[in-house]
Amino acid sequence: MEFKYIGKDILRPDATAKITGKAKFLADLKLPGMLHCAILRPTVAHAKIVSIDTSEAEKCPGVVKVVTAQGQNYRYGDNIRDFTPMAGDRVRHIGEAVAAVIADSAHHAREAVKKIKPVYEPLPVYVDARDALKPDAVLIHPDSGDFWHLPGLGPKAGTNIANYYKLVKGDVKKGFADAEVTVEGEFNYPFGSCSAIEPHGAIAWFHEDGLIEIWSSSICPFVIRDEVARVYDRPISDVRVHIPEVGGCFGYKSDITVEQTIAFIASFVPGRPVKWVATRKEDLVSTLMGHGIRTKMKLGAKKDGTLTAIQATLYHSTGAYADTGIHVCIGATHNCTGPYEFPNCFMESYLTYTNTPPIGAFRGYGHQEGQFGVERLMDMLARKLKMSPFALREKNYLGEGKTTSLGEKLWKTNGDVRACVANVKKAVFDSPKPKEDEQFYYGRGFVAVMKSPKGAPFSSKGCYLKMNSDGSVCINMGGAEVGQGLRNVVRLVAAEALKIPPERIRVYTEIDTQFSPWEWQTIGSMFTTQGGRAIVRAAEKAIAILKRTAGQVLKCDEDMLDYDGEFVFLKSDPGVRVEVPRLIHGYITGDGITIGEVVQTTSDCRLPRYSGLDPETGQGSAGVEYTFGAQACDIRIEKATGKVLIDHFASSFDVGRVIQPKQIRGQIVGGVMIAIGSTLHEELKFDKDGKCLNPFFGRYRFPTIKDRPAKQTVVCVETPAVVGPFGARGIGEHPLVGVAPCILNAIQDAIGVEFTELPVTPDKVKKALEGR
Amino acid sequence: MAEKINLTVNGVPRTVEIEGWERLIDVLRDKLDLTGAKRGCDDATCGACTVVLNGEAVQSCITGLAKYKDGNVVTIEGLSGGVGKLHPIQQALVDAGAVQCGYCTPGIVLRLYALFGKKPDATDDEIVDALEIHLCRCTGYEAIFEGAKLARGYLKKAAKA
Repeated sequence: MEFKYIGKDILRPDATAKITGKAKFLADLKLPGMLHCAILRPTVAHAKIVSIDTSEAEKCPGVVKVVTAQGQNYRYGDNIRDFTPMAGDRVRHIGEAVAAVIADSAHHAREAVKKIKPVYEPLPVYVDARDALKPDAVLIHPDSGDFWHLPGLGPKAGTNIANYYKLVKGDVKKGFADAEVTVEGEFNYPFGSCSAIEPHGAIAWFHEDGLIEIWSSSICPFVIRDEVARVYDRPISDVRVHIPEVGGCFGYKSDITVEQTIAFIASFVPGRPVKWVATRKEDLVSTLMGHGIRTKMKLGAKKDGTLTAIQATLYHSTGAYADTGIHVCIGATHNCTGPYEFPNCFMESYLTYTNTPPIGAFRGYGHQEGQFGVERLMDMLARKLKMSPFALREKNYLGEGKTTSLGEKLWKTNGDVRACVANVKKAVFDSPKPKEDEQFYYGRGFVAVMKSPKGAPFSSKGCYLKMNSDGSVCINMGGAEVGQGLRNVVRLVAAEALKIPPERIRVYTEIDTQFSPWEWQTIGSMFTTQGGRAIVRAAEKAIAILKRTAGQVLKCDEDMLDYDGEFVFLKSDPGVRVEVPRLIHGYITGDGITIGEVVQTTSDCRLPRYSGLDPETGQGSAGVEYTFGAQACDIRIEKATGKVLIDHFASSFDVGRVIQPKQIRGQIVGGVMIAIGSTLHEELKFDKDGKCLNPFFGRYRFPTIKDRPAKQTVVCVETPAVVGPFGARGIGEHPLVGVAPCILNAIQDAIGVEFTELPVTPDKVKKALEGR
Repeated sequence: MAEKINLTVNGVPRTVEIEGWERLIDVLRDKLDLTGAKRGCDDATCGACTVVLNGEAVQSCITGLAKYKDGNVVTIEGLSGGVGKLHPIQQALVDAGAVQCGYCTPGIVLRLYALFGKKPDATDDEIVDALEIHLCRCTGYEAIFEGAKLARGYLKKAAKA
């Protein structure tokens, strides 16, 4: 199939505004009469709030109002309604909102917050799920049994379990009985932060006429809108949410994070907009963290390498609220098989309330945590069987006709893991490995990965397409551009579908729930797939209108006509034609009478067959669109320091169809770098009292330009998918999935040490070297 | 205590009334509506607020009154020359695909502006050293580094022309 526009690099629609500093982010917005707020965070991670003295703060310059949880009478959440806008009778983590000051400037608000005097009565603190699960543990939410939740999931009353998920395929006992070899291990993916350079922020404004207006650095305006409407008992149409430019997301700006808190605070000063922007410390510990998943895993196989069984137990220290972590945990559980077919599976996970900030999405959504274990164990199994890691995996790949742990039978169109493996093998393993020298050990590693779609069965993405009288087109959608280049996907797909140059298409900038079509949330790397298909559908509808009108003009049936972007013409005689612009607002006939419909269309796209999970087996359809890939790396370990240096990192994914080569490379190279951070540097550390030890970039070891791999290779495989536009699949989260086990497999290759806990810092490597 | 001070911003003399605690970033963003300088951290560790002061790249979030009073400041808003006329450094970063979310971008452009202003022949290592303070979560730094090298070439070409 020949494409005119997709597959070519074009200027990003947002590049110029961003490079000139003109793009408006949340912190850049000013509204008439705007007030500012600052929030008091607790000094203890788990405590009863005895009293809060706000009298001094109220007297400070510029202060308009001091707000506490008083008057708060609701909980919110999409899955489990356990969140409250502010800490009520107790604080449950170190980043919670205890009180807030509204003032005429952010400076005045911050100064006054320091004068608030709370008194706490400390309670036992649990940072690790394994402690919170002990039978004598104090309950973090004594009333968790009363929380509203979606059917089939939710807290187990009287415990700190926020959700228990179990997935059964086949008979795991029989699977291990059939096994001739087993391997097992325990793997830990500790707390981290998505840490976009733009921190979270929001503005909320309760208008006198009942409208509630919100601006947020978020990717889910419609979820915010619906939840705010529900808790303030307003029609959804009376809540309007705006999303300006978003300065990076990587997961933690999905779901509701800060918006309900800022709305609650603003509700005390109706008529005035109230703005809040997180400090970096607040961004790290008062929004959503990532990971916190410990996995115990066992694999069984025949001597020839055929896998017979997998058993896994995941402990997710999900923090003080579980609404945002629950599907990360479920995703980690059912995806922990990686891209392999296990005839017998038993996987279970304990989503556990703890006294840390809540866990939410982190680019990869459970996949990197779940597949960390299996990819390390596959290498251990290969060594035990004296097989090459490639040969062992080769025997067990998922693919056409194979069945996932969820019980889904895969199609050819789900992609080709073997082609991806061949690409990274060629890139890394086909050249000789350097020999150990005075300064360095050298190693290389390899993994194969699988990404399932994560979303919801009802999730859809809408498109409004409007043709203008000169043939140019405006496209309006609800997908959040966070840097991934979604607007360019929109532009190129629309250009291809409408057969007009991309320069003739203007893509939306701000999202505004008053004007934008509905989209659930821009999550799960699903925009290209679902959003792209929605564009193709809207374009097809637009072309159908053009043909309908042209049929009247040219006095023939519509199906006699064809469209080429410039003209609608008679298939059998292309000279008989009418220019597209003359049809767009209706065709004006000789006597002025105008015929035909205006060309503006709407559409959406859901994932076919996406279902809920069976409560007994945990199985179901995750929504058809799987993606496969492989990663490999060459590393060196500095003997003197224990520092791991990445010489070459290669990734290959079956993206279905390349929409924009430069952007795909940017996504993959950048995604790999984030996961290198998780693997070698980053951990948000908490002491036993639940206090964060490193809530600053100065101490949270964020990768810099000097940490980048010396070389990255990116190769795309194109097995067209069934849903996405022209066969394309998303690639947003995928590059992170295999990075940690790939590097750790390479470390094992270099020095023979089996690391199972992240991050593998130079200190740990050095200690391991000394202990050999 | 409020105080009136003078400074030159993007070639234009400005007089602003400030409080003594205000840093250069507050003056630019809150008093002069130049929001291209971004705030990304609390402790001068991200580089997003970088502007050029008297020819040096500075982190405006820690630049106090004594330093910026009577100073000559270049911000991202002062670089491009109108529709279709990006500064060569801006053009190079766009061409290299170094702009993703765009939040760290203005600071990086200005860091390179100061670097190449002083050292048009800055080596690859000098570029990396200069950019080390600039955190970027999107790109993995590859396109930023490629863009910086491209900028070095574009600037030389522009200087010859």
